[in-house]
Amino acid sequence: MGAEVTQVSAFTAVLAHALCLAGLAAAHSLAGRGALLSDPAHALRLLVVCEAPLVIVVFSLLRRDPKRCSFLKAAARGLLGLPIGAFLNAFGAIVLGAPVGIKYWIATTYWSCLMSLFTFVPAACVFGASKVDWQNVLSHSIYGTSSNVADYMISAPSHGAVIGAWLGAWPMPLDWERPWQVKILTATF
Amino acid sequence: MVIDGLPAEFVLGRGGKPPAREMMESMPYTQSLLAGCRAVGYHAKAAPPTVTMPRLKAMVSGAIGGFLDVALNFNTQAFLDDNILDQLHTIGYKLVMLGDETWIKLFPTLFYRQDGVSSFYVKDTVEVDFNVSRHLESELAAKDWDALILHYLGLDHVGHIGGRQSNLMTPKLKEMDDVIRRIHAAVTSIQDNSHRTLLVVVSDHGMTEVGNHGGSSYEETDSLALFIGHSVESSHCSPYDQKEALQVDLAPTLALLFGIPIPKNNIGVLLPELFNSLADDQKLRTLELNSWQILRLLQKQRPAFCSEDCVDSKDDFGADMLPESTEKKLCRLLSKAFASHRSSLLHRDSNFRSVEAAGLFGAAVDSYSGFLRHASEWLSHRATDKPLYLLASAISLMIISCFSLAGIISCIFKGPPQIKVEHHSELDLDKNWHLDEVFILMGIFLYVASLGSSSFVEEEQYIWHFLTSTLYLIFLIKTVQSILKESNSTLVHRSETKTFHKNNSSYLASYKLIPGQQDGCKLYTVLIVLVAGRILRAWYQGGINWVHFPDISKILNQSDSSIVKSLQTISVLAVVVLYSVSLMLLRTRRILIIGLWLSHLSCGLLVMLHIWKSQVDTSVPINNHSTTSIAQIFYVIASISVTCTFLLSPWIFPTHSKEAEPTSSSGSNPEKAHGLNHSVFLTGVTYTMFWCLLQLLLQQPINAVPVLLILLQIISSVIYFSLEKSLHRQWVQGCRNAILGNDRPLWPWEHQ
Repeated sequence: MGAEVTQVSAFTAVLAHALCLAGLAAAHSLAGRGALLSDPAHALRLLVVCEAPLVIVVFSLLRRDPKRCSFLKAAARGLLGLPIGAFLNAFGAIVLGAPVGIKYWIATTYWSCLMSLFTFVPAACVFGASKVDWQNVLSHSIYGTSSNVADYMISAPSHGAVIGAWLGAWPMPLDWERPWQVKILTATF
Repeated sequence: MVIDGLPAEFVLGRGGKPPAREMMESMPYTQSLLAGCRAVGYHAKAAPPTVTMPRLKAMVSGAIGGFLDVALNFNTQAFLDDNILDQLHTIGYKLVMLGDETWIKLFPTLFYRQDGVSSFYVKDTVEVDFNVSRHLESELAAKDWDALILHYLGLDHVGHIGGRQSNLMTPKLKEMDDVIRRIHAAVTSIQDNSHRTLLVVVSDHGMTEVGNHGGSSYEETDSLALFIGHSVESSHCSPYDQKEALQVDLAPTLALLFGIPIPKNNIGVLLPELFNSLADDQKLRTLELNSWQILRLLQKQRPAFCSEDCVDSKDDFGADMLPESTEKKLCRLLSKAFASHRSSLLHRDSNFRSVEAAGLFGAAVDSYSGFLRHASEWLSHRATDKPLYLLASAISLMIISCFSLAGIISCIFKGPPQIKVEHHSELDLDKNWHLDEVFILMGIFLYVASLGSSSFVEEEQYIWHFLTSTLYLIFLIKTVQSILKESNSTLVHRSETKTFHKNNSSYLASYKLIPGQQDGCKLYTVLIVLVAGRILRAWYQGGINWVHFPDISKILNQSDSSIVKSLQTISVLAVVVLYSVSLMLLRTRRILIIGLWLSHLSCGLLVMLHIWKSQVDTSVPINNHSTTSIAQIFYVIASISVTCTFLLSPWIFPTHSKEAEPTSSSGSNPEKAHGLNHSVFLTGVTYTMFWCLLQLLLQQPINAVPVLLILLQIISSVIYFSLEKSLHRQWVQGCRNAILGNDRPLWPWEHQ
């Protein structure tokens, strides 16, 4: 791979994440207060619809080799990565105990799409199909050894999203009887 | 009459309102007694732990025990403290006990006649009570006893099975009501005894919404104390008022009603409404006796309590202005009570009655009641006081010892230097902490921390499933990582793998799988473990809070029996096929192997025969001779096979290889290791497969597929770890085994 690899500066990375966060906040306020509680599927769908274009555009702009692959190709890669990532996230959630049933699958689908927007799609947009980079995303040994900002930019949020969702499942058995203790919701939060 | 697990709410309602209509209709006779003012009911608050044995002890002795009694609940010992039953026995009463055998364990030699009923079979709601009621007619007709104790366990079992809203609850309440009616009818029919007989209907504890008890919630501590008798009758009453009392109040009340000494350690207060038929001075006497007994207890706790007379003549007003310690207040109340009592006695002796006498009587009663109430409260708090310093120092000692142990173990693991080169694989990973090792440590700490919350303890099986699945997801990630690494550098590895496999004593590696195939194999095994684990989790919705959600076992229970039978058959076939495959891996044609295969096949056929002969959905065991003989033949064949395998397998695998190994510089050790490996493998897999067939024979029909799934999980894990020898340390495997094993016993499986 002799193509040029653009080095992403730390500032750009922070800006990218700030944009995504802003999009998330906007979508949340659009959905209304407590929408996640009363109608989780609808709220999640809104979040996904608002966030998806933002994430894909931002990370396609930050793709690793802008000369070899065009903006549209990176965006297409991201779009392709969305369902794949959703499937993987759904598999992980179901294995860890998420309910499998007709009345749950809509919420599960939207939730896994949202999760893949944070975990899979950025990596798909930026890296494409290069195995070395995917390896780096999967492993945790880059923390402390790599100096490439792009690695951190992709790995840290995805690891964080997964760990956050994992930790979010712990409050479920507590008998506080709050409406947000449904599995998907705590993980989303 | 003790009705185990009956909440007072069912009979007396709550907050001043009568109980729900279904409850009132299911106990019509009792409600008529309450409405007709012939019975008085109390909400007798039980102290935790709300488990039967400590509550019985509290009822008869008036003393509040602690949580240590729960540990003794499984091996109950005779009750040596002073209690009303011993006192009754001392004055010559003959006691008859019918019901829960806990009474016999508490009082082994006390009862004139007894019939104990075991409390362990929680699913039985019919026989436990039938065994008590069958004696009722003869006992009510007999004249040779003085006190009859009945203890009905059925309601508690109904609660444990189906909770408060169970549809077995109403028939059970009707049954209890019927017993009360029979007893009351018998009592009132005997003319001379009816004035001297008291029917006390109590419960030892209540139950939560889902039918459990043991804690300190309102639903669990709300137990009943219902008194039916001539001395209780009055002309007007309000039966559904929330009359609060403590469960320990039963002991002094009964003691004073029957004229026996109040038990020494009693902290209860007598219930005044039951003494309505007594004259004024008799009432004062009962209060005085109770106060003296409590005073003795107080003086044992505080030797200098109330040693001087502290009656203040000005204590009618201004007494509440100064804040005083509880002791002073108690002393003051008691002294006032004694003084009023003495004065009223003097007035009684004199010839005229006056308003003053009534006033003194009222003052004495008030002071006595105030003293008794406050003293009882103070004493019960003392009983549950915890010595904070002792607790804190003990806990810190435990934490220090835990950390020391962890430190010592880590020193041991890092200590001995790696002399042999083959301990190191090509990947120098021994110095770093892997994600899975970190996770296992963290997972253990998380689990232990979660035990601090009772909600997490109730749903413990979900935590185990969660942690185990996360661990296997981490294995999955590692496998994917190594797949990616493999496809990056295939050329470099291929030449090394051949020498690698020769030294590797992994069993499946002898098949010389190329690394790509190996990784694919590992991937499939981890996926099998994950998917099987998820299906197993969905099989039984265990725990406390979410038990009523649908799960696979409920669906199977309602479905056609042919579906269940076919699932069972498939499981048996799968086990037989798996065993054949694993035997073929050995690649020897010895007689023993063929014999084992045949015996396993025949056992599988026996199990299938058993399945097709037995019915699926009857809970009563069938007295079918052929199924028992099938099971017996199975036991014989299985035990012979397993024993033969264990004894003979070291002999059939040669320790000296006859094949020429020109480059075997390490001598005969690998061959010996190979032979031992083969025999260990054979023994292990034979034992596992026969155990699976045994489980398929003995377990409930809907549990057949879970057995198969567990077998798949075990086999997949074994395969995965045999392929992974280079990357994981031994203790990860050990932990994984322990965690998998821990996952299983938390499910409510039952044997046929």
